[in-house]
Order: sequence, then C-alpha cells, then structure tokens
Amino acid sequence: MATENTQSIALDSSADSKVEGHFKRNRFVYGFGALVVAIGAALRIYLDTMGFSVGTDFYSDEFQVYWMPLLYGELILLGGFTVILSTYLWLTRETDASAISKELELKRYWKMLSIFSVMAIWGGLIGANAIESDAAWHQVTIRDTDFTPTHIIIFYFALPALTAMLVPAFIWVHTRVPAYMNKISIPFLAVVCGILMIMPNYGFNEWGHTFFYAEELFAAPIHYGFVFLGWSLFFLIPLAMQIISHMARLISETTAEGYQAS
Amino acid sequence: MSETQTAEITEVEAKARLLDLKSLDNPKAMKLYRRFDGIIILVLFLFIVLGIQIHFTLTAGDWDYWIDWRDRRWWPLVAPFSLLLFIAPFQYGLWARVRLPVAGTAVTLLLCLVSWVSRYFNFYEFTHFPMSFVFPSTYIALGILLDCSLVVTRSLLVSSVIGGGLFGALVYPLNWAFMAPYKVPVELHGMLMSVADLMGYQYVRTTTPEYLRIIEESTLRTFGGSVTPLTAVFSGLCGMVIYMIFLWVGSRVNAMEKFTKRIV
Repeated sequence: MATENTQSIALDSSADSKVEGHFKRNRFVYGFGALVVAIGAALRIYLDTMGFSVGTDFYSDEFQVYWMPLLYGELILLGGFTVILSTYLWLTRETDASAISKELELKRYWKMLSIFSVMAIWGGLIGANAIESDAAWHQVTIRDTDFTPTHIIIFYFALPALTAMLVPAFIWVHTRVPAYMNKISIPFLAVVCGILMIMPNYGFNEWGHTFFYAEELFAAPIHYGFVFLGWSLFFLIPLAMQIISHMARLISETTAEGYQAS
Repeated sequence: MSETQTAEITEVEAKARLLDLKSLDNPKAMKLYRRFDGIIILVLFLFIVLGIQIHFTLTAGDWDYWIDWRDRRWWPLVAPFSLLLFIAPFQYGLWARVRLPVAGTAVTLLLCLVSWVSRYFNFYEFTHFPMSFVFPSTYIALGILLDCSLVVTRSLLVSSVIGGGLFGALVYPLNWAFMAPYKVPVELHGMLMSVADLMGYQYVRTTTPEYLRIIEESTLRTFGGSVTPLTAVFSGLCGMVIYMIFLWVGSRVNAMEKFTKRIV
C-alpha cells in the first residue's frame, strides 16, 4: 500500500510565503503541545489526590478500583496508539524520494521539528514533574508492589508515552523526508532504542528490588541501567547536526534570489 | 567513483556552499534560520532537562535531596563526577560542530531550574518534606567556569584540566553560604550533632535507612579539618579524568552522525 507518487504541495502562493508559512500554519505543535501538557497535569492531579488516600496498599480494594484500571488503560492506550499509528505510517509510506519537491521537503522538516517539540515538551514534563515524585514517594511509604501509584504514572505511562511518540516519529521521518528515506539515521535510531530499552530495564529493576535490594537508595547500582540508557540522549547532538545541515541547505536554496518554486 | 564524478560533486557542493553564504545576507533566509535555531534550542534544552534529571537523580540524587546528606566527603566527590560525565558529550558536540561553549552552563542552569520545580512539587507539596530540608544545591557557577575555561583556552584538553579541575574542587565553597546554617552544632540528649543531622533524624526516610547513609565515612578521623580540602583536591582530579574520558565518548558519539542501509 506504499504510495507511489508524493502529494503535491497544497500551498498556492509565492515561494516566499510557501517557505515562511510552513511553520506559521503548523498548528500541530500548539495543539499536541497543549494536549500533552493537559494529560500531564491531569495525571499529576490524580496522583496528588489519590496517591496517598487509596494508593499505599496494593492489596486493598481501593487500590484495585482506583489504580489498576488506570494501569491497564494506559497499557492498552499506548500499545494501541504505537502499533496502529506505526502500521499506518509504514503502509502509507512514500517510495519515490525524487518526486518530493524542495518546498514539500522543507515543509516536512518543519513538521519534523514540531513533532520533536511535542516530544521535548513531554520529556521536560517528565524531568520536572515525574522522576523525583517516585524518589519522594519511596521515602515516605513502605514498598509492597511493583505497581506503586508513581510507577503507574512514570514507568507505565510517562516514559512509554515518549516511546509511543518516538517510534512513529522515527517511521514518519524515514518514510517521508528524502534525506532519511531508504536508509537509517544512526543517531535517531540510538535515541529511540535507548528510550525504548528503558522499559525492559524495569524488569531488572523490579526483579532486583524483590530479590536482593529492598531499599531505594537512588544512586544504587540497581538503577544504573536507567542511567546508561538515558545516555542515548547524547545522540541528540549528532541528530540535530543532521537536521541542521539538511534544513539550512534547503532554506538557502528555497529563499535564494531567482528560485523557481516547483 | 571516477575523477569526473568527483569534480562534478565538488562543483555542485561549491555552488551550494556559495548559496549558503549568500543566504546570510538574505533577510528571509535569516528569519527562517532564527526561527529554526529557536526550535532546535527549545527541543535540545527540554530533552537535556529529561536527561540530566534521569542521570543526576540516579547517580548523585541522594546527596542532593537532603541537606544532611551534603557532607564533606562524598557529596563534593559524587556530584561533580556525575555532572561532568553528562556535560562532556554535549560539550564536545556543541564545540566541535558549532563552536558553542555553553554545555556546562546550560546543563547546570537547567538542572537548577528543574530541581527547584521538582523539589517544590514532589518533595514539598506531594510528600510534605520542608523546602529547607530538600532544596537543591547550585552548580551554575561551576558550569560557567567550565565554559569560560574553554572560551579562554579554545582547547577541550586544556579546559578539561583547568575547568574540570575547578568544577570538581569548588563544589563545597560554592554551596557553603547555603549550607553553613545547617552545620551549626547542637546537643540533643547529650549527643553532639549538626542541625542538618537533627533534621534528618526527625524526618525518617523509609527506604533509605541509617545503614545506607553514605556520608562522612572514613577510617582515620584524626585528619579532622583537612577532610574538606582533601576531598576538593581529589574531586578536582576525578573531574579532570571523567571529563576527559567522556569528551572522548562525545567524540565517538558525534562521529556517528551517519546513515546506514535500511534493513527492510
């Protein structure tokens, strides 16, 4: 079902406005940015309200009513979102990179930056709001389950949601942006794999906490898997350089004097 | 590749580079470049917030959460070690590719901002520890020193010796003004302790019991007052070494700005 011919650019004014308008008219980042902030705020309010009132005893009826359905819902939502969107993006991929005009290519770079902006907003929210909530939680409670309220928010939603955005973004970029088509960007792959592998690392973390390390010293070696995988973000610089070099060239070409828009 | 092809590519590339240079005088292009720079900076900074929080929390967080953990032996060693490790790969990429000596300042500033937000919402509002017990340390001046050493020397190697060393050595004096009130000695039930210790005993932390309190560990306590400067010097050494090692890691990471063949 791969698309043979690329869509023509749906902008009808001059070349200048085509190039400039790509970002101005891109409501993606504002809409989805607001959405992820709203989701983050809602989950935070839920954690603050229900965390200590019904979330300290896994074996209580209240926990099964107020927290476990949230966990199941998150897993279904994120799993479904990732699989359906990734499959759709792959099946509607484009096969002919040469048929994509420079304007459309530049438009897609702006869209790519919008996607990255939304993911970055979510990443910033995780950093500012979520990670240390688990640290604080563990210092005032006794651990009785792998599915604590903070884990249900961070481990099973916040970080998987980042992966759920990264995987389709990776497919979108590699099937829509000419410089990335028919090959794989190593820094982008490293970022996706690093964040993705944090989830399997939960297994080691929880297994270790039930087996040999009941305490929660945060700097303990049992947590180093998360640290090592977080280092995948080092690859953001080479990834940024890839984007900058391609995009700067496209901007210089499409804004040059005498450039004829295709 | 034949010589003709090579010449052709060079000519095309030369034309493109000329176009790039011309675009610097083109207001339309410059407007887009600035917008583009703004987005890249926003994205990078927000991801760095995520990265430094994961990294710092899980390598040095315990020493930064609690005022009684900020001792003179472990905290001044662990905190700069952890920070320099994270800063170096970004510093290498930003310096080698775009000549921006800002990674140290950016990472420490972002860590400070995000830590204040996080401590307030998580430790104060959520679990009700007092802010006076959990406020974050500051490392911003160390980041500025690190970046300044790079600007002045224009050498990653020399800056790792000067900047890395200063970064490690100056943690304690930089934070001393905030910490001094907590180091005042008090006596409780005949026991001598600091105000910070007393606060630590009052706020019991359920999953970091006393036997995990990795502070003030030592075998020869008669070194007494020289523990702080000794740690500072050793921390400076560790700072130089770890910064150099992770600059090398950064060089390897940045060398991977490549594409590979698609598997599918």
